[in-house]
Amino acid sequence: MSKESQMRAAINQKLIEMGERERLKELLRAKLIECGWRDQLKALCKEVIKEKGIENVTVEDLVAGVTPKGRALVPDSVKKELLQRIRAFLAQHST
Amino acid sequence: MKMEDMSLSGLDNTKLEALAHDVYSDLVEDACLGLCFEVHRAVKQGYFFLDDTDQESMKDFEIVDQPGVDIFGQVYNQWKNKECVCPNCSRSIAASRFAPHLEKCLGMGRNSSRIANRRIASSNNTSKSESDQEDNDDINDNDWSYGSEKKAKKRKSEKNPNSPRRSKSLKHKNGELSSSVNPDLYKYNYSSGISYETLGPEELRSILTTQCGVVSEHTKKMCTRSTLPNSDTMLENDSYDAPDGQLIMSRLQWDGSSDISPSDSASSKASTNNSESKRPKKKKKPSTLSLTSGGGGGERDKGQERERGDRERVAGGGSGSGSSSSQNALGLSNRKKRPKLPVPPAPSIYDDLN
Repeated sequence: MSKESQMRAAINQKLIEMGERERLKELLRAKLIECGWRDQLKALCKEVIKEKGIENVTVEDLVAGVTPKGRALVPDSVKKELLQRIRAFLAQHST
Repeated sequence: MKMEDMSLSGLDNTKLEALAHDVYSDLVEDACLGLCFEVHRAVKQGYFFLDDTDQESMKDFEIVDQPGVDIFGQVYNQWKNKECVCPNCSRSIAASRFAPHLEKCLGMGRNSSRIANRRIASSNNTSKSESDQEDNDDINDNDWSYGSEKKAKKRKSEKNPNSPRRSKSLKHKNGELSSSVNPDLYKYNYSSGISYETLGPEELRSILTTQCGVVSEHTKKMCTRSTLPNSDTMLENDSYDAPDGQLIMSRLQWDGSSDISPSDSASSKASTNNSESKRPKKKKKPSTLSLTSGGGGGERDKGQERERGDRERVAGGGSGSGSSSSQNALGLSNRKKRPKLPVPPAPSIYDDLN
């Protein structure tokens, strides 16, 4: 599957080179803030912090405690839109 | 790697889809990580929990959901019925009326000056005229301040839109229509700084022998044109009565010249004179030069024109008025206007007195 992995690497490179990745990132960020996803995750972080204590909490703690829930909490509309854009990009630039 | 290697045919759609999902997952994870880093930094820097309030304070600002009270717990019309004390007049005023009251009280509102001026004007017209009438008959007889009650009443009655006089009087601005102005004419100081009311008869005579003395309604200034003898207007000089003395003489002068207002006939106290009754009709007839008592009105008409500088007519009017001096003496108060004094007869009149 090196071809595939090569393919992936090429696509990613293209995304970055063309600035599409940055644009997609910004778009996602804006949408997540808009739908309140960010505040939800912040509340989760608070819980983790209260659990672990302010002094001892580490980044890994937070990441481990929050990321899985974060992925699940992304609204479907946001997900669909982003996928659509990625597919469009792939279609445009993979031939 | 060449783009040709990455043709769609090389990858089926599922792989492409999987690729898209992978890209998406990477993006989401980046977002999560970014958030975690921010939170961690905030915690470590100590500003993460700053926007939180403690439970006690939270209770203070809890949303209130009671009837008659807003969400803060305040009553809506709490201040409606309260009374405030005005700092200016120290009266207790209802809260809802407080601001307008202050406006009027302090004299700073948009309408307060207007209202005050109106009040002053109306009180001037009524009070002053009354007091004048009662107090100084001498002076007032000479004056043309028709600020009497009759005058006040007359103003409104005279302002009958159907009256034929209306259009006429507009030209000459006789007492009727501009009655509100007339009292002012005689009460305010003129350019010469003289008020006919305040001056005594002697002073008035002395002034009027040298100057015209007619007050223009437009500028409210006394005409300071020097008097000149005019032989043409020496008519019926002997007819006027000198029994009443100098006062009457000086009045006479003004009588003839001031017989303009048509309201004289109605307002004159001694108005039983035909001349006076005829005056209004003949007001605007400059051609009438008759010097009979009946022509007094005509002369008075000319009195108006005197203002335009017609000395002959003025003189004629003045001499004519002499004949009805006794009548005019009483009717002086009816004059609303003071036309220019007759120039020619002036010296003659005074000559007789002297």
